[in-house]
Amino acid sequence: MSLLHFAQWLNETRGSIFLRENDWAFAIIETVHILGLGLSVGTIMWVDLRLMGVAMGGHRPADVLRQLEPWAIGGFSIMFLSGALLLTAEPLKCYTRVSFRLKVLMLILAGLNYLYFHVRIRRSLADYEADQLLPWRARMIGYLSLALWLGIIFCGRWMAYF
Amino acid sequence: MNLQHLLLRPSLFAWCESSFLGHAIKYSKWDFALLETFHIIGIAVLLGSILVVDLRLLGFSMRRVSTEQLAREFAPWTWAAFAFMVATGIPMFFSEAVRMSLNTAFLVKMTLLGLALLIHATVHRRATRPGAKENAGFGKLAAYLSLASWLGVALAGRAIAFFMTLNGA
Repeated sequence: MSLLHFAQWLNETRGSIFLRENDWAFAIIETVHILGLGLSVGTIMWVDLRLMGVAMGGHRPADVLRQLEPWAIGGFSIMFLSGALLLTAEPLKCYTRVSFRLKVLMLILAGLNYLYFHVRIRRSLADYEADQLLPWRARMIGYLSLALWLGIIFCGRWMAYF
Repeated sequence: MNLQHLLLRPSLFAWCESSFLGHAIKYSKWDFALLETFHIIGIAVLLGSILVVDLRLLGFSMRRVSTEQLAREFAPWTWAAFAFMVATGIPMFFSEAVRMSLNTAFLVKMTLLGLALLIHATVHRRATRPGAKENAGFGKLAAYLSLASWLGVALAGRAIAFFMTLNGA
């Protein structure tokens, strides 16, 4: 089954039709998706900015990570679940949008970036104190993450256009 | 209920829309979409910076740092993001001022925005000033009020588009 066939099949399922045609379902899910943005990207960005050395300089990087990561993961879960429902509601629209494909690509890259951070960087963060600049690998992860998330927001909004 | 019920002259909105700014955005292909996108990116920074301070007030995170220090650190980000939201919001308003004057969600958003700013300048400011008691009930109240009002602004903002499709205005 090709991706198009899958999208067409999903489009005709009862769940998809309900989410698309119910007056409230789509509006509520989309609103949750936008509020989740504040929680997820709004917390991820401070960790990124600390890694970059741009903000939160007065705090230990390990502290910033430990304190904000649970909220970022919670926010991401809200985004992922509400996003999956939005995709279910309009699979054919997503299939035809260049911006959606770019968004998925950037999500995968952000995931790989986080995985690299988790495997190679996380443990060494404890060695760094407040006001200390992190090595370039860690800084680069911050820059990449922030750029990818901004790109993901951009593409998400542009799905309304193309 | 909408802005036109507040005894504002309808010609005011027509003037906004026909002004150079309103006209330029209304008849440009991508301007509005770009403004909207940056407006949404601004939400992440604005809500994010407020959220971190409010989570501290509630005692949920960053407990090693004093509320006052955290609030001082995040204030420039909050105000920069707020200025950015206003700077992207006003041109969008100008480009469809007449429709906004008939949109209930827009009126609700502006009312909640006023309320959010009021809470930020009074209760919230008091709870995060130097010498404020840590983990006090007052701080928690301030955090809940702040979160509720800013989330309300975001919700009503999203609802503007829903009201447009409902009543065409």
